[in-house]
Amino acid sequence: MFALLALASEGEVYSQAVGRGLNWLRANQRRDGGFAPRPLVEDCTWVTALVLLLPAPMLARFHARGALDWLLSKTGRESSWVQRLRVAMISGRVDRGAPEGWPWFPDTAAWVSPTSFAILALRKASQRDPRDEIRDRIQRGQEYLMSSVCEDGGWNHGSTKALGYEAPSYPETTGLALLALDDLPPSRVARSVERAKQYLQATRSLEAASWLHLGLLAHRQAFPPAPTYATRSRSTQEVALAAILRRALDGDDVFGAP
Amino acid sequence: MVSVRRHTAYDQSVYDSVRRLPIEHKLQVRGKRVVLKPNLVEFDSATTINTHPLLVHAALEAFRSLGAAEVRIAEGPGHRRITLDLADAAGYFQTIPSFEGLFTDLNLDDISAVLLKRPVSKLRTVYLPHTALRCDLLVSMPKMKTHHWVGATPGMKNLFGLVPGGVYGWPKNVLHWAGIDESITDLHAAFPNTFAIVGGIEGMEGNGPIQGTPKHCDVLVAGDNLPAVDATCCRIMGIDLLKIRYLRISAGSEALAESSILQAGKSVSSVQTNFQLLPNFQSIRLV
Repeated sequence: MFALLALASEGEVYSQAVGRGLNWLRANQRRDGGFAPRPLVEDCTWVTALVLLLPAPMLARFHARGALDWLLSKTGRESSWVQRLRVAMISGRVDRGAPEGWPWFPDTAAWVSPTSFAILALRKASQRDPRDEIRDRIQRGQEYLMSSVCEDGGWNHGSTKALGYEAPSYPETTGLALLALDDLPPSRVARSVERAKQYLQATRSLEAASWLHLGLLAHRQAFPPAPTYATRSRSTQEVALAAILRRALDGDDVFGAP
Repeated sequence: MVSVRRHTAYDQSVYDSVRRLPIEHKLQVRGKRVVLKPNLVEFDSATTINTHPLLVHAALEAFRSLGAAEVRIAEGPGHRRITLDLADAAGYFQTIPSFEGLFTDLNLDDISAVLLKRPVSKLRTVYLPHTALRCDLLVSMPKMKTHHWVGATPGMKNLFGLVPGGVYGWPKNVLHWAGIDESITDLHAAFPNTFAIVGGIEGMEGNGPIQGTPKHCDVLVAGDNLPAVDATCCRIMGIDLLKIRYLRISAGSEALAESSILQAGKSVSSVQTNFQLLPNFQSIRLV
């Protein structure tokens, strides 16, 4: 998916390589509209959000509305109606605007990365689909992220404390979460932006550096160049992200709204 | 049988000691495919959190010298997605020649759906990576650490790293909902040909497995019966193994009694050193 997104960011919408990728995706879309991480896997997962990040001409090749509805139907297990009913019965009140994120895998808890990808996907979809439900989920997803900020200002996988002890954030999730929060007032993310800048100067990971750059760019922040040793790519995803970043620096952000 | 060997540092002597372990346990690895499964958790150059790369290299050399057809290193970290960068930060590229070619990221490996026989967790089927499913011997190589959910994390908890994040995510939260202790038991049952080498030369006490403090325990613990290895580790750490739920479920108290486990090398009492426990875990202290 990241390779397709990188090709899309380069304007390669109609190339043969992209066509093969899209045909593969179309063949693997499930009846409920979602996508599984591999053909063998029965369950559709968070990767559905990645598919929805593709530009409109690519989305036209399969049932994008079905994928969008699948994504909207998913929530962290802690936000399921069973859990909400339990909380309502105990507290005597229903919190309709409570933070609500997305899980990696159905029927499990919400975490930072899948929530960030879902917000990015819904934000793109909201340009084509004016449903209030989409705007509401974006907002509640962002509140989920804001409720998951670590003490140091960044984000980790989504567990800020373990047995009362503060857990530190990670560079890559900090960059990704900032990307998904680009429309929040600067004052709400100021500490996180500073944390991202600190990470960018220290990280040795090309993928982490790409996410940090993208996150800071989304908040129109000048950033220091990543250290030169953070340039070795080890995976397709890293190469793809670096390409996406390069285009984003030129003003064409594949994660941004069209 | 469980071997306990005394080592005060990760130095060249570890190579000789680790080479003797498969021989001592009569492991037949000639012509076989061996997978070494270290515990890579966090970007940490101090190797207090992750399995020490020298120990993994020593095992690689040991199984190669015994004629294994193939020895691979494989891991699927639970929280951090960028596995190779994580391994780099943990010193694996520096210590193990051609590491990248020897390594499989289990989070992204090809998978099969495995139907669990007699599961005790809520899982019925679990997707597992081919590298682990198709090997002849899986060697669990964790670090001796306390763990803020299950109490201690020697050989069996390390099997969580076999579950592919590429399917279940980071963390592999499906295992938590299915029951952590029960899932450990089911994963252990899914891999019958296992061996464990637990690195306790420098372990971790307190708020393990990530935020604890280094603890010099100066031991390597090894064996082909993972519950017995973990029970021995617990005794060394001053932890009451009967209060470690996954051990109770997996093997029961009788099989894990000290008298039931044949001991080689040093006695437990000669290397026993209490690991500090979080306040909520004081009840698991061995008295």
